[in-house]
Amino acid sequence: MTWLVWRQHRNQTYLAAAALAAFAVLVLITGRQMASQYHSALTSCAASHTCGNLANTLILGTPVLSLLVTLTVVVPCLLGVFWGGPLVAREFETGTSQFAWMQSITRSRWLAVKVGWALLAAAAWGGAVSALVTWWSSPVNALNHQNFQPGQFDIQGIVPVGYALFAVALGIAAGTLLRRTLPALAVTIGVFTFLRLVIGQDLRSHYLTAVTTPFSFLHAPPSPKGSYWLVSGGVVGPAGQVANSHAHGGPGVSFGGVPVPIDNMPSACRVLVFQSPLKFGSCLAAHGYRGFITYQPASRYWAFQGIETGIFVLLAAALIAVTAIVVLRRDA
Amino acid sequence: MTDFQSAALPAIATRGLAKHYRKRTALTDCTITVPEGRISALIGPNGAGKTTLLRLLAGLATPTAGEVAVLGATPGRDLALLAEIGFVAQEIPLYRRMSAEDHIRMGARLNPRWDGASVRQRLESLSIPLDQAVGTLSGGQQAQVALMLSLGKRPRLLLLDEPVAALDPLARRQFLATLAEAVAAGGLTAVLSSHLIADLERTCDHLILLAASRVQLCGDIDTLLAEHQVLVGPRKDTTAIERDHTLVHAVRTARQVTLLIRRKGPVIDPAFEAADVSLEELVLGYMGQDAPPAFAHLTSVGEDQ
Repeated sequence: MTWLVWRQHRNQTYLAAAALAAFAVLVLITGRQMASQYHSALTSCAASHTCGNLANTLILGTPVLSLLVTLTVVVPCLLGVFWGGPLVAREFETGTSQFAWMQSITRSRWLAVKVGWALLAAAAWGGAVSALVTWWSSPVNALNHQNFQPGQFDIQGIVPVGYALFAVALGIAAGTLLRRTLPALAVTIGVFTFLRLVIGQDLRSHYLTAVTTPFSFLHAPPSPKGSYWLVSGGVVGPAGQVANSHAHGGPGVSFGGVPVPIDNMPSACRVLVFQSPLKFGSCLAAHGYRGFITYQPASRYWAFQGIETGIFVLLAAALIAVTAIVVLRRDA
Repeated sequence: MTDFQSAALPAIATRGLAKHYRKRTALTDCTITVPEGRISALIGPNGAGKTTLLRLLAGLATPTAGEVAVLGATPGRDLALLAEIGFVAQEIPLYRRMSAEDHIRMGARLNPRWDGASVRQRLESLSIPLDQAVGTLSGGQQAQVALMLSLGKRPRLLLLDEPVAALDPLARRQFLATLAEAVAAGGLTAVLSSHLIADLERTCDHLILLAASRVQLCGDIDTLLAEHQVLVGPRKDTTAIERDHTLVHAVRTARQVTLLIRRKGPVIDPAFEAADVSLEELVLGYMGQDAPPAFAHLTSVGEDQ
């Protein structure tokens, strides 16, 4: 059966291997350049004692390269579309499932071998791309501390493996239920994108209770150590937390990254906004206003990677279970 | 494991078999028996339930009601049975980008008793290229590949859904001859569906006639032919004949009446002229149609066996 799976998908596999190899060459060459650029910058800034400012002065890589690396966020979806969607749907569509199922092989074995190899390939490709991106990004991470931020979090570490497994399982399940390749591809793209967005934007920040740190407007907001993830920030007045009218279209101003809704500030301070941020801050502090930041500490990075990967692996397992039930029960 | 070799066991036995889809009854109350070593013609108009019956026998579909035993086992549940059944679906599904040789190699990996050499030899004798993607072969050649692959499994039951539909007359003959040889060699029973009796009557010795999702006739062709008779007589009251025999079909013109009956004894009404029935007449009679007379007289059935 493995022979058949290989025979059916070998051209695709060669193509995917070639694409991965090309990407690997690009990443390895530019990654080495970036690493040496970063290290020489570190050496020279240490000599002149200006390393604290390095993140503002040093730009690693090129915009095109950064864009390309950021685009690897779609790799799991592509795997789901090209490997997952057609895996079972194409057999139903062309009737070859009837041919395969009338060989001396059980449907469960047929499905297990096909799905097993597809998932393995998804994990391998998703993992390889992620490993390359993670390695490539290591100087950038050390410099900018942004690998916990949405966007960077999604293309590094182990989560891409979870996404790839989920996308392929989603494609397989959609293809099995719809029995047509093209609709299965559309459903795969739609559901994958929707779930990734919902989980990334609404669920991820709640995996562990975020840490909230208050600060005085007399100083800049605190900056936690390492690659922390700033989830939100705001203002607490004498009467409790100030509604963020800025979010609803009101005028706002950023105080060191923390949104301050001007409408809801004391009128005495409002006029100072455009004169001097320093005076504005002092005025707010004098009126009893304090800022706060809510963030996930850098130390939780791998816990979050693990939780998010776990969620997508579980979703993938559920989809494979649905696929198995349908294939084993339904008429050919 | 079930003892497939026991001689008394019919190759196929169903009782009250039925398959309903959400809005449609594909097959109902189907009770048939096919003894081992027969080539059975599964005849019926389009939509009569032939494909459904074959799929139920192959285990590709599960029955809504009734029982089905194939070589003494239940299709779909008995895994050992899967190795004993050859099946070719009507659409002749093959992996289009794979060559016939790839299919033969695949068969070797997925079947315990695979006879790749004979598949190669048969395809080569038909001048079908083994190394070309099957999607590029003609429809008839693809059908031949699928049929030969089903034989390569060395099955004990071969289920073929409209196998000759895609073949030209010569290829049809060749295929049916190959099939007859394989059955004559022993240990093989075959069921072939078609909506045209002429395709199959030379080769088959057993008949399953389906119409409107029901079994109309099932049995040995010679026996069925002997049991039926065409009566031609003046147009008069036929209630006596209908009382003594089973009237299958009647054609009444202004001057005479032609009756197809299933005899329960000798016909003694001197007003009627009795004639042997052809397979074509029999089949068409049960389908409620009139046999084209000229063709009916040209057909001689049973002599080929």
